[in-house]
Amino acid sequence: MQALSRLSWWLIRAQFTTRRAATLLSMLAVALGVALGYAIHLINDAALADFARAMKSVQGDPDAVIAARDSAGSVPLATLNAIARDPAVLVIAAVIETRVRIDNARTPVTLIGIDVFSAAAVMPDLLPRHNEQAAAPNLFNGGVYASPALLAKLAQRAPDSDSGARPGRTLTLVRGEQQWPATLAGDLPAARPDDLLLVADIAWVQERFGPVDAVSEGRVRLAPDSDLATWRKKWAQQLPAGLLIRVADDDSARVSNLSRAYRVNLNVLALVALLTGAFLVFATQLTSVAQRSTQFALLGVLGLSPRMRLLQVLLEGLAIGVPGALLGLGLGYALAVAFTRLLGGDLGGGYFAGSAPPIIPLPAPALVFLALGCLASLAGASYPAYLNRMQPLAQALKTGFAQQSHADTARATLPRLRLPLFLALAALALAQLPPLFALPLAGYAAIALVLVAGIASAPLLTQLLFGWLSAQALPAPQRIALQNVAQAPLMAQVAASGLIVSFALTASMVIMVSSFRVAVDQWLDHVLPAPLYLRSKATPLPQDLLAALAQPDAPFTRVERMANASLIIDPQRPQVALLVREIDRRDPAARLPVTGPLLAPPATTPAVWISEPMAEIYRLAPGQTLRLPLLGREIEVFIGGVWRDYGRQFGAVVISRQDYQQLGGDFQPTDLALWPRPGEEAHASAWLAPWADQYGLEVADSAEIRRLSLSIFDKSFAVTYALEAAAMLIGLFGLAVTLAASVWLRARELATLGALGFDRRMLSRAVMLEGALIATVGVLIGLACGVGIGAILTHVVNPQAFHWRMALAIPWAALVTGAAITLAAAVLASRHAARQATRLPVAQVLASAQ
Amino acid sequence: MRRRSFLCTPLLLPTLTLAAPARAPVTYAPVTPGIKLAFPRDHGAHPDFRTEWWYVTGALDVPQADIGFQLTFFRSRPGNAEDLQSPLAARQILFAHAALTLPGERLLHSERAARANLGAAFSSSDCDIHIGAWRMNREQRSTGEVLRLQMNSPQFSYDFTLTPSQPLLLQGDGGYSRKGQAAALASYYVSWPQLQVAGSLLFDGQRRAASGRAWFDHEWSTAILGGDAVGWDWVGINLDDGGALMAFRMRDSQGATLFAHAAWRDAGGQVRQFAAGEVAFHPLRHWASPRSGASYPVQIEIRLGELTLRTRPVLDDQELSTSRPAPVVYWEGLVRLEGSLSGRGYLEMTGYAGRLQL
Repeated sequence: MQALSRLSWWLIRAQFTTRRAATLLSMLAVALGVALGYAIHLINDAALADFARAMKSVQGDPDAVIAARDSAGSVPLATLNAIARDPAVLVIAAVIETRVRIDNARTPVTLIGIDVFSAAAVMPDLLPRHNEQAAAPNLFNGGVYASPALLAKLAQRAPDSDSGARPGRTLTLVRGEQQWPATLAGDLPAARPDDLLLVADIAWVQERFGPVDAVSEGRVRLAPDSDLATWRKKWAQQLPAGLLIRVADDDSARVSNLSRAYRVNLNVLALVALLTGAFLVFATQLTSVAQRSTQFALLGVLGLSPRMRLLQVLLEGLAIGVPGALLGLGLGYALAVAFTRLLGGDLGGGYFAGSAPPIIPLPAPALVFLALGCLASLAGASYPAYLNRMQPLAQALKTGFAQQSHADTARATLPRLRLPLFLALAALALAQLPPLFALPLAGYAAIALVLVAGIASAPLLTQLLFGWLSAQALPAPQRIALQNVAQAPLMAQVAASGLIVSFALTASMVIMVSSFRVAVDQWLDHVLPAPLYLRSKATPLPQDLLAALAQPDAPFTRVERMANASLIIDPQRPQVALLVREIDRRDPAARLPVTGPLLAPPATTPAVWISEPMAEIYRLAPGQTLRLPLLGREIEVFIGGVWRDYGRQFGAVVISRQDYQQLGGDFQPTDLALWPRPGEEAHASAWLAPWADQYGLEVADSAEIRRLSLSIFDKSFAVTYALEAAAMLIGLFGLAVTLAASVWLRARELATLGALGFDRRMLSRAVMLEGALIATVGVLIGLACGVGIGAILTHVVNPQAFHWRMALAIPWAALVTGAAITLAAAVLASRHAARQATRLPVAQVLASAQ
Repeated sequence: MRRRSFLCTPLLLPTLTLAAPARAPVTYAPVTPGIKLAFPRDHGAHPDFRTEWWYVTGALDVPQADIGFQLTFFRSRPGNAEDLQSPLAARQILFAHAALTLPGERLLHSERAARANLGAAFSSSDCDIHIGAWRMNREQRSTGEVLRLQMNSPQFSYDFTLTPSQPLLLQGDGGYSRKGQAAALASYYVSWPQLQVAGSLLFDGQRRAASGRAWFDHEWSTAILGGDAVGWDWVGINLDDGGALMAFRMRDSQGATLFAHAAWRDAGGQVRQFAAGEVAFHPLRHWASPRSGASYPVQIEIRLGELTLRTRPVLDDQELSTSRPAPVVYWEGLVRLEGSLSGRGYLEMTGYAGRLQL
């Protein structure tokens, strides 16, 4: 047994030293797959934990939260006080939360009005600490308390003056029209380092900013012996329609839903990398089994059982997988740290705001990813291992690796088309299926089938192309080489399949991203009709600005106002945006990129137009009525149409200002679209500048917004681009490795040619031509598959995962250029193989063949 | 006599100082003699006064003899947020405190705090005050009026109905009760002794029927404790013969009596008032708290004129402390009264664990 394990170790070591490049490459591919998957896991974990901590810091950890479903809504005091009397409720902590700007600073901060008596039980992190030295009123008398991060920011803003962050100084808190000159009275010792928060007494916040006789939220701590589910059910029936009860599970589900599709997408990419690793192990082990067939046959004759020969190859696969996966874990950790630093916790997806969350690796998930890496390498080694077991010893001992004789090569073309055709049809069928668990799982399966179909069609195409070429009048060496490959297409298939997969994936990504970018570009045209835009961040625009804009001397021909709010339709899902816009009920298409039918709403019913994501998430269609949680009640609205929206993945509802106001809504514009008088564009900007300065508003022209939007778009695909590059590299390396192996396999043939008088240049050229032709097959099939997969990504995965619909826009120029570059690179890669061919010790090879 | 309300105010705010506000001093209503109290209106709150409490203590016979219970609601108007229009302005702060004495065993207690109008409220026309699900209110039933007490906490809960067997006892001069030598140191003070208790009591995870006798106090005032006082001793006893006895003294830092008063209503309804000179408190036995180190005279000899009375606690350790960072530590618990008169009731002793900060 010990001898066996020593033998096994020798063989592994020999494997590593003789096929260093191929082994290393396989290892790297496994590492990459593991690294990517692990990094995504780490980053997401960190981002979710970070979000949860942020929630806990500001919201505490209540058992349940009573909140309005409409962001403009509030919880009536009467409701709150009724709940407080429930014996099942230990305490209900009321909160008024709003956004204010300090001394007209541009960025608003969160102001939380707390009731210190109840806050202590539910959200202790918000408790303020009074500065004893400050001549400031206490909490009850209007003192405000700032988080350490905000104090640092205030100090930074006024570094030389003594005003900055000194307790006792006055902070003018501005929200729309309302102002509150409040006194800084201390800090929030338990606030998180990056929280920008102000805390004041709830009565003072209500007095200055409202809401009248209501609060933003009631956060409930239940008595220890009461059951949350029962309690929730009881109160859910009694609450007014505009309110909802959120429990902790809802919060985590909502947070997880935020980035779920994005995460799954990235994980599929990681899986692809892992599969590529498996493929490389397969290629390496296949060639190595072929190369060592004589050795194995000898060992077999000496008593090594077929089972041991199988195990040996699997063990060698594992010897690649384990270090590869370990390397991947390290790499994944490094990637996670680097990416969170660079792009934040959502990899540029824009779902979680805030600073880089800390990455904390845990043993269990690390082990899972380690196992995945090993599994990939084992899977890759399994077929070569099987072949090694089945080798007829006598023949292998005499002539080396016995490739299955392809007696069926003469089979008709049509039957051989069956498998790829069947696979393609199956992929097409899968692509028609709806999402499973709100994820495009069938779409992903279809992509896998397209790839398999591509690989399966490789032998046919190889044989056709090579057979046809070898039948042409070519110089003898080339013809012989070509014919050889055409007769034994297994190696060619292996070499090509790596390229097929990598090129198909890259091409499909290019197609998808390009389609998306074209669509976003067109969409931006439609949603940015005005030359100038003005917005205040989450606080209503000042009335005096609106009044000034209405004056005849304002240099604008047209001003459209818009108010942004949000609604909770399902507590487990992210909020839906509510846009109140100056829109013509009869002609919404003038302002919205409407897709599909537009229906005229009944005169008596308020109309809304919903975004595509909204229609898909909540399964709504034009002509239906929807009960919208609006203005503290449920209002029946008519869905007039669906419009395209790439800006809000979780849905948006547009309602006209007239309808909103008729329903009793208080229209407080937050955004403006402005059309300057022709020729007075510069004047218009100058006219706005002092307003923007005074109130901390943002003014941007449509070109700027467009540029910014597209740059955000590009940033969010940063990871994809990096992955494409990696996939292409792996594909090319795979080609080089398999070509080199096939050269080795045909050593006798090449040596014979050498003995017959072929010079080294002729041999080298033959091998390079072979490489180029295999690459051509790979790239052609890859391109075809890429277009297919690109279409699946665009028409199935994107709509199902992100609810983004778009037209397919294939960037042919980029694809052809990419194909040409790949071919050139393939020729370069095959030089490596060619060099091996020219270095064959002809005499020795021929001698050993006896 | 529960002046802890004055003390609780700053202590309930963990990290804040509640220095008296610089502006908007409140003009509190003064406590003056000669006012005729009217009920049920005067069972309700008097928000113009600085402080007020409704206080029920009692001794149960069922499910077990000598179980003591106590439920107190305080209202305090420290002078904060007086200018605000918001209904949430922290002008009137409410506190509640509940305790349960299991004789010879242990003391359970729980507390609540809130501002009025935010999960808590009081009525100014009748006794009805609540913080969350804790409530003390007067109900007019077809069989007569009752007081209802409801509280719940993780360790114990109770829901009692108190049926009066006697008329109200207006302390001092028709409810005007002096607390010190200075005329300003006074309160309005109404007692309701010998209330019959019926209801249910939950502790150790078991809900049981309960009955016994209780004592209700309602007191409101504006005057602050005299400057030299560090604490006080107070008793309110339901006498076995149907009579009622209330006695208190204010102490200085040396333990000397600054002011004292007592009232005894005998079974026939005759009230006898004892002036300061007729009231004397003499410690008989001390119990030292292992937690605070304070030493309380749990057995006191009280002399009222020719009467000699002794207290004997059903449990030595009836020391309480609020859970806030700077705790108020005091002793408040069920005692038996022996001597010239016998009965059961509550003894309260404050200022033994260091000087009480106002």
